[in-house]
Amino acid sequence: MIRFENVVKSFGSKHILKGVSFEIMPGEILFILGRSGTGKSVTLKTLVGLLKPDSGNVIIRNQKDGKDLQVQSLDQEGLNLARKICGMVFQHPALLDSLTIFENVAFGLRDLNEEDKRKRVLECLKLVHLDENILNLKPPEISYGMQKRVSIARTIAPGPQYLLFDEPTTGLDPITTNAINELINELARTLNVTSLVVSHDMGCALDIADRILVLDNGGILAMGSVNEIRNSKEPLIVDFLSEVLST
Amino acid sequence: MISFLKTLILELGSQALFLQKVLAVWVRHMGASRKLVFEQIADVGSRSLFTVCFAGFFVGAILVVQFSLMLANYDALTFLGGLNTSATVREIGPLIISFLLAGKVGAYTTAELGTMRVTEQIDAVSCLGTDPILYLVVPRFLAIVICSILLLAFGLFVGVMGSIFVAQNLYNMNYLQYIQSVPKFTDMFTVLGSVFKCFVYGIIVATVSTYKGFNASGGARGVGKAVTECAVYTNLFIVFANYVTSQLLNIFQTFWMGMQ
Repeated sequence: MIRFENVVKSFGSKHILKGVSFEIMPGEILFILGRSGTGKSVTLKTLVGLLKPDSGNVIIRNQKDGKDLQVQSLDQEGLNLARKICGMVFQHPALLDSLTIFENVAFGLRDLNEEDKRKRVLECLKLVHLDENILNLKPPEISYGMQKRVSIARTIAPGPQYLLFDEPTTGLDPITTNAINELINELARTLNVTSLVVSHDMGCALDIADRILVLDNGGILAMGSVNEIRNSKEPLIVDFLSEVLST
Repeated sequence: MISFLKTLILELGSQALFLQKVLAVWVRHMGASRKLVFEQIADVGSRSLFTVCFAGFFVGAILVVQFSLMLANYDALTFLGGLNTSATVREIGPLIISFLLAGKVGAYTTAELGTMRVTEQIDAVSCLGTDPILYLVVPRFLAIVICSILLLAFGLFVGVMGSIFVAQNLYNMNYLQYIQSVPKFTDMFTVLGSVFKCFVYGIIVATVSTYKGFNASGGARGVGKAVTECAVYTNLFIVFANYVTSQLLNIFQTFWMGMQ
């Protein structure tokens, strides 16, 4: 379970989150939708401690021991644990160019010996439908879509309990976008992890989300099941839906 | 003017805090990133060695051309070697090498870290449980500082060789005659002072470039801005540090000579 309690975040005079509260249930896929600049990515970054909220609480439950971690009050060690529990896939593939694909995927596996590391890397690459012949290549030598898959493999390698996706299909062609969306759905079901996806792709949200949260003007405009959102009369949601229908 | 000074002081403060953070992380994990430091030293060294040697040779050569004209007027060409070497070791060598390092390695480091920042690689490193300062900044920082001293040694050597070459071939001066006057103007204190200056400038280049890159924001435009700011602040801080270190070394030298 992840819980946001009245989270406020501003950058100078720009108020991004004005007291956002919601909860993510174990095993579900929650989509956060909204226009650009409404605080979708800020919400994710607050969750993994990359940004500190001005006020409010962000709580992550460690499903292994049932203990709650209050993100903003964690020290570096606690933050590392929170980040191990919550694997984050960034908008860009964010792979380190100087490392090979193997080294990138194995980046978060420092505790394993070489043999186990290799086994785990191959396992994760298989989960994202990539072949082992790319192991020794550097990120610029593979396509952007493959880099996205490698970045997902890197995130799932340490075995997170929650998967956070920050606009995972940005910059991808429609075919690769569909493939990545299917992959998100497949991973959530196969690995039985709770997923939080930040996107502006309403079509994808309607296809794979369990619940959808729409952010607007620093607050929650609507939150509910796919059917509830589909039947919403909010002008912004109607706009999002009409875009899906037109494509 | 006031706004410029305010910005300069704010920059100085922020960079001093960043330097403190980098040094604290390095001290806490000393030896943890040794392999990365060696990789970076090889990278920085190989990227700058030719440029430093090229510049060093011509700096030595230019000084011979300039000094020989003046000294010939006073019939004092026998002092050319000493005067030239002293100027190279004391001032021109460390300064030119630092400017080259700032332009080549400093700008590269800022662009590299800045791109990593805007493409979320630094955030990704954090999210995978690694301190990005330890993994990305400390190796680059140490490599620049260490390389600035190594490159100074190469640069000075090539500079002196360049000046001997020009003195011998264009001014028909015997190289032994050239070298003879060197100890009169250049002693161990001068050489150590030069190393000290280069060490200080190396810290400036390393701090400004890693700070600007690490804190870049705003996409490609932000990285461009960070690189420009890196060039401006590095040069400003080096010129200022040059004055301060020169004064300090003069005071030390006077004190040292008084003791003897």
